[in-house]
Amino acid sequence: MERTAFDLVIVGGGAAGLRAAIAAAELDPDLTIALVSKVYPMRSHTVSAEGGTAAVLRDYDSFDLHAQDTIKGSDFLADQDAVEYFVAHCPQEIIRLEHWGCPWSRDEDGRVSQRAFGGMSVKRTVYAADKVGFHILHTLFQTSMKYEQIHRFDESFVTSLILDGGACTGVVAMNLRTGTMAAIQGKATILATGGCGRVYEFTTNGFIKTGDGMALAYRAGVPLKDMEMVQFHPTCLPGTGILITEAARGEGGVLVNKEGERYMQRYLPGKMELGPRDILSRAMIQEIKAGRAFEGPYGPYLGLDLRHLGEKRINERIPMVRELAEKYMGLDPVHELIPVRPGQHYIMGGVSTGLKGETALPGLYAVGETACVSINGANRLGSNSLSECLVFGAACGLAAAEFAKKRPSYPRGATAREALRKEEARVFDGLLGRERGKETVAGIRVEMQQLMERDVGIFREESALADACGMLAKLRDRFAAVGLADKDRVFNTELTAVLELDFMLDVAATIAHSARDRHESRGAHSRTDFPQRDDANFLKHTLAFRTDGAPRIDYLPVKITKWQPAERKY
Amino acid sequence: MTVHEYPARRRRVWWLRNRRYLAFQLREAGGVVCALYGLILLNMLIQLRDGESAYAAFLNLLRTPPMLYLNVVLFALVLWHALTWFMLIGKAQPIQFTREPLPWKVVFGINVLLWIGVSGAVVYLIFGGM
Amino acid sequence: MADSEVVFRVSRYRPESGGRPTFQEYRIPYRSDMVVLDGLNYIKDHLDPTLTFRWSCRMGICGSCGADVNGRPRLTCGTYIRDMRKGAVTVEPLSNFPILKDLVVDFDDFLDKLASVRPYIVRKDWGDLSKEYTQYPEDVDAYRQQSLCINCMLCYAACPVFGASPEFVGPAASALALRYIRDTRDDGAAERLARLNTKTGIWECTFVGECSVVCPKEVDPAAAIQTLKFLATTRHMRRLLMPGSASR
Repeated sequence: MERTAFDLVIVGGGAAGLRAAIAAAELDPDLTIALVSKVYPMRSHTVSAEGGTAAVLRDYDSFDLHAQDTIKGSDFLADQDAVEYFVAHCPQEIIRLEHWGCPWSRDEDGRVSQRAFGGMSVKRTVYAADKVGFHILHTLFQTSMKYEQIHRFDESFVTSLILDGGACTGVVAMNLRTGTMAAIQGKATILATGGCGRVYEFTTNGFIKTGDGMALAYRAGVPLKDMEMVQFHPTCLPGTGILITEAARGEGGVLVNKEGERYMQRYLPGKMELGPRDILSRAMIQEIKAGRAFEGPYGPYLGLDLRHLGEKRINERIPMVRELAEKYMGLDPVHELIPVRPGQHYIMGGVSTGLKGETALPGLYAVGETACVSINGANRLGSNSLSECLVFGAACGLAAAEFAKKRPSYPRGATAREALRKEEARVFDGLLGRERGKETVAGIRVEMQQLMERDVGIFREESALADACGMLAKLRDRFAAVGLADKDRVFNTELTAVLELDFMLDVAATIAHSARDRHESRGAHSRTDFPQRDDANFLKHTLAFRTDGAPRIDYLPVKITKWQPAERKY
Repeated sequence: MTVHEYPARRRRVWWLRNRRYLAFQLREAGGVVCALYGLILLNMLIQLRDGESAYAAFLNLLRTPPMLYLNVVLFALVLWHALTWFMLIGKAQPIQFTREPLPWKVVFGINVLLWIGVSGAVVYLIFGGM
Repeated sequence: MADSEVVFRVSRYRPESGGRPTFQEYRIPYRSDMVVLDGLNYIKDHLDPTLTFRWSCRMGICGSCGADVNGRPRLTCGTYIRDMRKGAVTVEPLSNFPILKDLVVDFDDFLDKLASVRPYIVRKDWGDLSKEYTQYPEDVDAYRQQSLCINCMLCYAACPVFGASPEFVGPAASALALRYIRDTRDDGAAERLARLNTKTGIWECTFVGECSVVCPKEVDPAAAIQTLKFLATTRHMRRLLMPGSASR
């Protein structure tokens, strides 16, 4: 019999989940840890992160400077106590990773190298060529194999949380391989499922980024914070949405319009291409609207010019940029411009948590992109997210482990059995039993994605947002009629697509409603009808609570320690 | 619920799936052929011990067309075996004298030159005095 | 932008119906910039939602979407239909692995093999945990190539030795073992070589070399295995000739 009760259940096997698992395993070898992932952990989307991970490692830098950059980048919506904790713990995480074998790029003196990144005022971003996420993920995954107490449930899809007496006591998961459901009980549960990029049509996110953890927490009554804060990355390949890392600009790449002009000089002369992502993405849209963009088969685009860097530097520092451009665009950046346009990349919002990942529900934690602590506020700086996964992954793993250690006995089996029975009925008898009709999972998914792209994109305004809220509610109704052609239980990816769409519709609604109610422009949230930041009314976090109808929106003050909100000027 | 995995497809004639696999199998076969050559040589020594007529009969046998054809095939396989191995040495003996290992083509060239040199020396030793 | 059509012949296997894998044909609209994965997704979304395959990043780094395309193991996200020979695109699950459903194979066994070579830094003394270890750029270059493995399993699908004896530790796990052995921060060479110097270890490899041909990340596992053979042999000889010599 496979074990079904653990001290700690971690959902998600990316950087945050693995880091939490290792932290807990190191704390106490007697703790049992379940690592549940809907894919094999090394497939997690951390793998696609490219440019780097930030930490203060050199004398020219300081915690205050890193914190100040992060807070300014966030347009003062970040919680400053969280940011201070974050910057102070980044260096040790880089060193932990280093000790575990991460192949960081090195300077000639044998120290870990650092590069420039958007919004960071000094060279602060640690890197391993431009496959940083890949190397971090594989280093963590392989290191996790050292710990026998980490029990992996690979390719197990979590469908709901188990709630018992106002606390979370584990998850119900569908094992894709066997097509069976199981209750995986835990004294504490951590959600580390990453972002929800797939609610948008044009995204750098992988197919698996469907906001599962956010929806799981939301359904359990935990609010989602700052969901209107969606980051659009300026340099994505048209058509596929494949990301061209910010490191390309950090290493000296420039952006040009069809007239060959470095147009950023008109928008952000102080920082040019190394400004924060929200500003660069908006500048791109403005260039496109002004008719100064190139035209291609996938619409207008701008040019990323790396030619002056030379072949050697490109191969050494950003080999993946060249690989991706050659493979997916059929061009060589040594000699040609790379076509780029903005695409959804990250969500600053997520499950509302405290400093250690704790949520309003006892026993439930969230960390990484799934969570909103918040250090990213209204706009995340590039290379802060991998560090966030590491710093808060470790903190959350330890906090959840301590919480579990204080609970002498495992949760009651009866509640878990009841939860399991309910989920089996909902998923197998309900969803799987539905016959195919007019509505298909792909059809509704595409409509949702196009709607979000059009109405809840880079620039927003009241009527479009109201329209989006209404349309999402209609899509939710129509979703009830989605039927399935695949009736097998084993590895039914049509069924998982339905479950994911179910999650995404919840998450999309929180994004649209949170955006509609924020009547100001701040960071990535840019309202054409409210173009100014409004600290008097909106220096606060949005909270979205689940109800039977539309999400209920509430607010939470921002924690300010020593950086008073000021105009965000670069 | 029991899950019926379909057992791994292991093709018995995998070596016909592409040219590289076939080239590999031919090289391996070339190894057997080298042994065959050895046996022929051994037999020649046995015939030599058994006297002049036995040796002459064996040489006559070697001169018949089927044996000649067989020898051509065997020689081709041995050549293939040797050349493809020379190509692999650069990869199979990854001893690095420099920061970048020598490209396999260079190692291949050196080996071919050595081979030609040694063969020349042998030919000279046998026929050079004539 | 659909210029024409392309025919996909896709291997189907339904675990709950049993039987043998069969081929099913689909006609899909063709664009010149389409990869095989786009075709599979078109089928999933528009023609047949029961078709089952794994994918995620569609940028050649997550390693999910490997399949035999026209008989050769490839990442479907990086394989352009325009580069295929004229006619049908045949997509089958990766060879040498048990099939779970359609194009989904079971490679759990690889993860056990990977764990068996200790794919993590082994150290006798971790020293000061608050300080980074010094490593020079050339030290990183020494193991960079092997560290690029994305565990996509194409090399196992290409390896006839693994096909014949599934216990063989195989190309990727061996390459990753070498990756850690070559790392200046690591002291675990002895344990790893002891694992690899076994009946199911590196000596099974007959140097067919196809693993390195199909590898999408140029990890060159074939060369890695030969290096390991060299290391295992020299280590063995050294122990024979100089008992009690240093372990590294």
